[in-house]
Formats: sequence, structure tokens, C-alpha cells
Amino acid sequence: MGLFDAIIGRRKIAGPAPDRLFAITTAYITLETEHQISTRGVAAIVFQPLATGDFERIAADMEDVLRGTGADSGSTIETSEDSFGYRWMIVRDPDVEDLAVGINAVSDQLAIDGYADRLLCAVFAFQDAAGAPIYFIYNYKRGTWYPFSPAGDAAAQERATERELRLRAVIGADLPIEPELDRWFPLWGIPI
Amino acid sequence: MNRIRHIPSMSRSTSVIGRDRGLQARMLLTMFLLGLLYVVFMGVLFAAGAGFGLIVAFAAGLLLVQYFAADKLALASVGAKEVTPQEAPELHGMIDRLCVQADLPKPRVAMMQSEMPNAFALGRSPKHATVCATTAIVDLLTPAELEGVMAHELSHVANRDVAIMTLASFFASLASMIVQFSFFFGGGSSGGDSDDDGPGIFAVIVVSMMVYAISFFLMQALSRYREYAADRGAAILTGRPSALASALMKLGGEMQHIPKQDMRSAEMNAFYIFPVGTKDSFMSLFSTHPPMDKRIAALARMESELQGTAGRAVPVTV
Repeated sequence: MGLFDAIIGRRKIAGPAPDRLFAITTAYITLETEHQISTRGVAAIVFQPLATGDFERIAADMEDVLRGTGADSGSTIETSEDSFGYRWMIVRDPDVEDLAVGINAVSDQLAIDGYADRLLCAVFAFQDAAGAPIYFIYNYKRGTWYPFSPAGDAAAQERATERELRLRAVIGADLPIEPELDRWFPLWGIPI
Repeated sequence: MNRIRHIPSMSRSTSVIGRDRGLQARMLLTMFLLGLLYVVFMGVLFAAGAGFGLIVAFAAGLLLVQYFAADKLALASVGAKEVTPQEAPELHGMIDRLCVQADLPKPRVAMMQSEMPNAFALGRSPKHATVCATTAIVDLLTPAELEGVMAHELSHVANRDVAIMTLASFFASLASMIVQFSFFFGGGSSGGDSDDDGPGIFAVIVVSMMVYAISFFLMQALSRYREYAADRGAAILTGRPSALASALMKLGGEMQHIPKQDMRSAEMNAFYIFPVGTKDSFMSLFSTHPPMDKRIAALARMESELQGTAGRAVPVTV
């Protein structure tokens, strides 16, 4: 989006930035071996479904493809919709690499069908040694990751900011972390 | 199904809803005419002499104040207050997601106690933006409709409409200032003693009036085009043109039952989703927003484009 586009009011949604999704697979090794942060064996890709026949068909195909590849690696798939109308395609697999492969299959398929701009983010669920929830969220538009760690009960909508900042410090070398803190958008009520 | 599928490398620059070249052309033409008008006006002022330099400097000072402080003044004057994510979790969650989609930094979110269902955006740049919704609009609309309205406001932010309209209004306010000053100070000194070559004060006043009148209409036209652009931006952002259309219909119906409140008592450059008190505008030339039925018709065309039926859809004639 250049300034000229802004001036004449031309809008288009940014497509995905160069893909850095797989950075999580190497970062995870550091997280697990050095910081006792383990995977909860689940990840999700979040996108904005369009209410068109074409899109629904693609989404159904996508789920089938994912189930097909999941049968080989042992991952399971489920779909749900959140209260904001976004669709969550949830992959369960104890291996982070398989999770990333599954998530990538969905985003690739959407890109092939010309709907890459509908992708919101991918979410990988982890926990620390004490069992506190940690999410790493991948922003497709910017090709960056950021940590999200809800604190206390869900209704309070508090973030464990200190933990998030610490995570940035320990993993910043392995994972391309979003530099602008005001783009560390929270996702409340994550279904994974 | 007549939408062409793209291979990934090409799909980055495609969007399901295309762009409206006609709208962009009209917008550019309007801006060009405004610019031309202002260049001519400046020429006349310089020819008239240095006395006007002071007025220009004064107007520029006012413009700067307006540019940098208008959002805070306006928010305070309408009684809107910023809300935290804890106070308005749904609104914040919705705006968070839209910002990720639009690749915008998060604006400040404000709410305003009001019976009038409306929403507006303020701020000179995406980094200094505020979006505000009234309590009535949050209650009235469904989440999908509200999302359309907020996406419309965020499109105003992304398009920098506040900055553009503030700049566009600079020379119009300068012209009106000159006319007003002249009534106070210029009247007495008229006489046959003008021995300079430039145009006299009288000529400058006449030119100023003309500039003000013409720029008024051009600015209203520009504002209407920016509304269409924001509607289109919202449709692209949410992928749901019909949700915004439905919101506009609800607001249109609602506006007619609600007594007019003087929400514009403070002069502010805000971008409302719906104009206040222009329901029965007898001449669309005077209005900042396009007529409701035209906005809804444009959204209906986008929906058919989205559904891949653009070629064979029943033409919408409203």
C-alpha cells in the first residue's frame, strides 16, 4: 500500500509476506531443550471464510486434503468457527514439524485458489514447565511471529506481558519476531 | 463460476473484489481541479501584495493546530472516551482482527454514550488514529454488520481521509477568512488611491468568494468519492459487502426515527459512517455522503462480483 494508493483511496488487502512459518520448527528445538517449553501438540490456522459457493467448496476440499496427509503422519483435523466469524482449522499432532506441514498445506491451498489474502494467522500452542499457556502466533501479512500468553482466567483478558517479553528475548535469534509491540494482537478465547 | 483462478505467485496482487477505476479517475480529477483552483488563488493573493501574507501565515498556523490537535479536541467535545480491551472486549477483538487483515497498526478505540447509532474515525495518520462507535450502534447492529462499519472506518484511516480533507479545506478556509477580515478592516480604506499594479482589495474579495464557493462543491464531491472508496475498502477487508449494506439500511431506517442532535456543534473533521441530519438533503451536491441507495447499490455490485456472477447478475438500478 503506497501513499498514492492511500490518496486515491485504492484498497487492496496485503497478500502474505515471504513465508517464515517453518521457523517455528527450528525455534522449537531451542524452546524445548533450553527453556523447558513444550508443545501441547496442537496448532491452528485462522482465516476469514467468504460466503460464496466457490469458497466453501475450496474449504471442503482443503479439509479432505489435510485429512489425507494427516492419515500418513497421524495428525487429526477439526474445524470450528469463532464468535467473530473466522474459521479455525485445528491440527493435532505431537510433532511440531508435522503441525507446521499441516498448517502450510492449508495456506498453500488457499494461495493456489487465489484466496491468500483471507489468511489471518497461524497459532501454535505451547506450555512452560509450570503448565502456563504460551502461544506463538504467525502473522501471514507481515511474515512475523509473536508470543501471546494469557494470564489468569480467560474472562479477565490479562496478558502475561513479562513472560511474553522474556520469550522474545530468548527466541528472538531463532524466530523472526514482530518488531512493533502494538502489533502483538491478542486472540482471546483461543479454542486450542 | 467465471472467476479466474490464479497460480500462487500471481495471486498476491489479486483481490476477489476488483477495483473501481472510474471512482479513482473521478477522485483524481476532483483533486486536480481543487489544486488548480488553489494555485490560481495563491497567484491572485501574491499579486495583490504582502498584506495578505499575514493572513496566509495565520491560516497556515490554524491548519497546523487543526492537523495535530483536532482529533483530541473533537473526541473531548463530543464526549467520547477511550475504552480498554477489558471494557469493550468484542469491539477490540473485532478491530484487532481487521487490523491484522488490513496490515494497520491498532488505532485507539473510543466509545460515546449516544442514542444516535453512528461511528467515526479521527486522526491524521494510521499511527495517530482513533475509531469511535456510539453505544447505540453497538446495540443496534449484528456483529457482522458492526464489523462492516468498523472496516469502513478503518478504510478511512488507511486512506488518510482526515489528512486529505484537512489539507483540501485549507484554502477554502483561507478564502473565507479573507472575506471576513475584509469586512472588518477593508471597508474603510477603499478609495481611488490605489497606485499599485496588482488587483485591488475588492477584486481579492470577489475572487475569495468565488474560490470558497467552487471549492465547497469540489470538496463535497471529493468527500462523497472517499465514502464510496471506504465502502469498497470495507467490502474488500471483510469479504462481506452485504453485511455493510445491511448495516447501512438499518442505520438509514433508524436515523429517520431519531431526533436530530447537534453532533457537529464542534467543527470537526470526522468521518462518520452515516451523515448526521442530512436525511432529506434536497441537493446531493451539498452533501458529504453519497445517497444511501447509491451506496447500497454499489455494495450489491461488489457482492455479485464476489459471488462470481458479476457478468450475469441482474443489473441493480436504484
